[in-house]
Amino acid sequence: MKSLALSIAMAVLAGCTVAIPASAIAASPAAQKVPLPGNSVYQLDVQLTDQAGRTSAWRDRRGKPQLVSMFYTSCQYICPLIIDSGKAVQKQLSDAERARLGITLISMDPARDTPQALAKVATQRKLDPAQWTLASPAPDDVRSVAGVLNIRYRALADGEFNHTSALVLLDGEGRILARTEKMGSKPDPEFVEAVRKALK
Amino acid sequence: MIRVIAAAVLVASPFVGVLAAEGDYLPIPAGRFASALNYEDAPGKQPVAAYSMMRTPVTNADFLAFVKANPKWRRDRVPTVIAEKRYLSHWAGPLELGDTAKPDQPVVQVSWFAADAYCAAEGARLPTWTEWEYAAAADETRRDARSDRIWRERILRWYSRPSNTALPRAGLQPANVYGVQDLHGLVWEWTEDFSSMLMDADNRNQGDPDNARFCGAGALSMNDRDNYAVLMRVAMLSSLSAEATTANLGFRCVKDTP
Amino acid sequence: MKRKNVYLIPLLAALALALPACDRSSPSSDTPAADASQDRIVGSRKGDFGPPQGEPVNAILTSPPMVPPATGRTAPAKVIVELDVIEKVMPISEGVDYTFWTFGGTVPGSFIRVRQGDTVEFHLRNMPDSKMPHNIDLHGVTGPGGGAASSFTAPGHRTQFTFKALNAGLFVYHCATAPVGMHIANGMYGMILVEPPEGLPEVDREYYVMQGDFYTTGKYREKGLQPFDMEKAIDENPTYVLFNGSEGSTTGDNSLTAKVGETVRMYVGNGGPNLVSSFHVIGEIFDKVWYEGGTNYQENVQTTLIPAGGAAMMEFHLEVPGSYVLVDHSIFRAFNKGALAILKADGPENKAIYSGLEVDEMYLGDRAGDSLGAVAVAAKAQASGELTVEEQMAAGKELFMGTCSTCHQGNGEGMAGVFPPIAASDYIKADPKSLPRVILHGLQGKVTVNGEDYDSIMPPMNQLTDDEVANISTYVLNSWNNPGGKISKEEVAEIRTQKPANASAGH
Repeated sequence: MKSLALSIAMAVLAGCTVAIPASAIAASPAAQKVPLPGNSVYQLDVQLTDQAGRTSAWRDRRGKPQLVSMFYTSCQYICPLIIDSGKAVQKQLSDAERARLGITLISMDPARDTPQALAKVATQRKLDPAQWTLASPAPDDVRSVAGVLNIRYRALADGEFNHTSALVLLDGEGRILARTEKMGSKPDPEFVEAVRKALK
Repeated sequence: MIRVIAAAVLVASPFVGVLAAEGDYLPIPAGRFASALNYEDAPGKQPVAAYSMMRTPVTNADFLAFVKANPKWRRDRVPTVIAEKRYLSHWAGPLELGDTAKPDQPVVQVSWFAADAYCAAEGARLPTWTEWEYAAAADETRRDARSDRIWRERILRWYSRPSNTALPRAGLQPANVYGVQDLHGLVWEWTEDFSSMLMDADNRNQGDPDNARFCGAGALSMNDRDNYAVLMRVAMLSSLSAEATTANLGFRCVKDTP
Repeated sequence: MKRKNVYLIPLLAALALALPACDRSSPSSDTPAADASQDRIVGSRKGDFGPPQGEPVNAILTSPPMVPPATGRTAPAKVIVELDVIEKVMPISEGVDYTFWTFGGTVPGSFIRVRQGDTVEFHLRNMPDSKMPHNIDLHGVTGPGGGAASSFTAPGHRTQFTFKALNAGLFVYHCATAPVGMHIANGMYGMILVEPPEGLPEVDREYYVMQGDFYTTGKYREKGLQPFDMEKAIDENPTYVLFNGSEGSTTGDNSLTAKVGETVRMYVGNGGPNLVSSFHVIGEIFDKVWYEGGTNYQENVQTTLIPAGGAAMMEFHLEVPGSYVLVDHSIFRAFNKGALAILKADGPENKAIYSGLEVDEMYLGDRAGDSLGAVAVAAKAQASGELTVEEQMAAGKELFMGTCSTCHQGNGEGMAGVFPPIAASDYIKADPKSLPRVILHGLQGKVTVNGEDYDSIMPPMNQLTDDEVANISTYVLNSWNNPGGKISKEEVAEIRTQKPANASAGH
């Protein structure tokens, strides 16, 4: 386990003064010892490098419900909508709920999505790093991440991608609770309901 | 890798009764190839780099050796997110083929993750769809037999056989022009990029202006609508998720040509 | 085509003579007043509301998929229709061009909308650069040839005739110049709607869609300018079956659009020339279909038949957003010949009516392991040593089905002219040993089997073991009226070492 990632997770927690149910306590060493459920996406052994240039295991996000999606920064068409969709879900939540939900956008284009490229989008779109993580896996791991999230994509000749756009809701253990393919600023009400439930 | 030789007597032909063993990869020369899929971004003939491909699909015996060497891929240890419950369920036990899975039958009930890991352990990889389609366009004498109606009908006939009988052994079919066997007529095969098949669940919507499900472009369509064999394979790959296994889906690996 | 205007007069005279015979109650009046009691007038004459009133009206013509607005008139009018005949090259599919002959520059031609009782002054103008003379037969015309005889128009000419629209309904028009089939196959058809006097019920949207079959010498989607193929047309074997004259005419950015909560009426015709359309909208049920474009409607229809040279009107109310695919449900036409169009409905979801995917989970079935028993049987297929003929046959059958049957068929009958039969084969009967020999070494060159010549290549199947070849051979020998017998693996091993002259090359 990356102690660096741990301390960051703790720091984020410290910044949030809301009472948190014990089950949602992130990344306490004790919690990490409990074996992951078999249907957790965190069973996948991949490292992610985020917009701050930190590399850590995807499964270090364990402990906190997450919205996860795949995107790439040079995308003009739908990917901005994916960010809008994440924001739209956040808008439906109370401050306390918002603080308990992580949002992780994983790039399908690690070759171009360096920490700088990711940071640029995070800044441009005013994404609060307390909740938003933009990260790239190793190039060989993209298809696997897409595999556990059931996202389909194809690299095009011009460097763009065709891909399915989905928001996937994970519980603290990395189990998929819900997904929506409705993108945009009008969130899918059923999906929002599932998010609220996960944050209780 | 354990080499399993069938109980056959080896005679004149070196291929007789030999299962795909480690190193049994055949060179596939580079070429230009028009996919049956209509890639709007890359229409017409596209270059395909040289690679080498396993003569036959990976067999139960091959896969058993892999699981023995990599116990985390035992069916009783793999998490369901990586391989669903049916993973290797036709074997008698986690490390035992038993009477229900013959050593020289192609391995089936393997997830994409498992196939991907097997190839990686060989220093190989799963073929891309294009590489698979390119090799599979060949018949016994031609590198591209796809326009031959008779050849297409032969392939379709394989598909019209019910799948409730036991699979034949790997390597039973005549070799194609590259020496590769069983690309048709034995099992479906995973490709590395199976999830790049952006086919709609309802394929009748081709031309749907509202295909925002796939960023950047609509679903794939077929250039070659008479090629039902390819269409069926694409539909099959499109229906799968990476942890899925089926009773007639196996795989083979390829290697880059240095 | 010779002009047959001659017909017109005698025929009308005959009609006039016949009328008193059917109308026993009153002296005949050629033009009944509009307020005359209609029920004593029969047939088309019911639609005669007297002479046109007011200023002449120029008909608004629209290109597909649009429909002109309702006439909104309450009295018969004189309507002037000016239709141009234009021969032009247009795409029939992406990268595929075709020389269409058109009414108004589109396929189908311009939509005409009049009211029952209107007097239509019809001008047909054939462009100076046309290659062909053309005319028009409107199915909404009462009179010989539907106007065809009066509108035969040479290139660079204009003709005119006038008719009274006596029958309400949705009618096809088409060119009827010889060879009629070719003019229609090249796209010369369209529709004229004759509204009933009270008009049609108001709807939110109206669309005009027409199916046609097309015959090109090249295969489906073969690029370039494709000529008309007369043979295919006569054989009624179209290359394309299309809505509105080209692939993509009504899909993608050209899709029809509507909103949830709206009622859509479609005017759907079939120009033919040959096929009958089984018109269906995937995911919708027609609330009403004015079948055959007539006066009555049927309700709650899934698929409606539209004959060549016929039409139908249908209405449906949209409840759920999404893309609705219009097809000819003779379904290979839709997916292999182009017969599909799309209506895209925007609006809020309605999960109570349609949920979308709710569950996709693993299903084990109750027959899990059912096929595993077969594996044990197949084990025999690899058995070695001394086998009885029965054991060899069982093993051989598995192997045969696994590899040989793709060419020689499961029943050994082969494929006529391509793969020889191995059932009741005189070739095998004459030399049973030919079986293992041909399996191992392949065969090329001409062979004659049961009186038929074959000249294709059988690849050498030397990937098979001696046991396998022996078992397949024994299975074939003892099946389908072949002479019987037994081939042993030792014989096979011996044959493997002797390559015959007519062996085929391996890969």
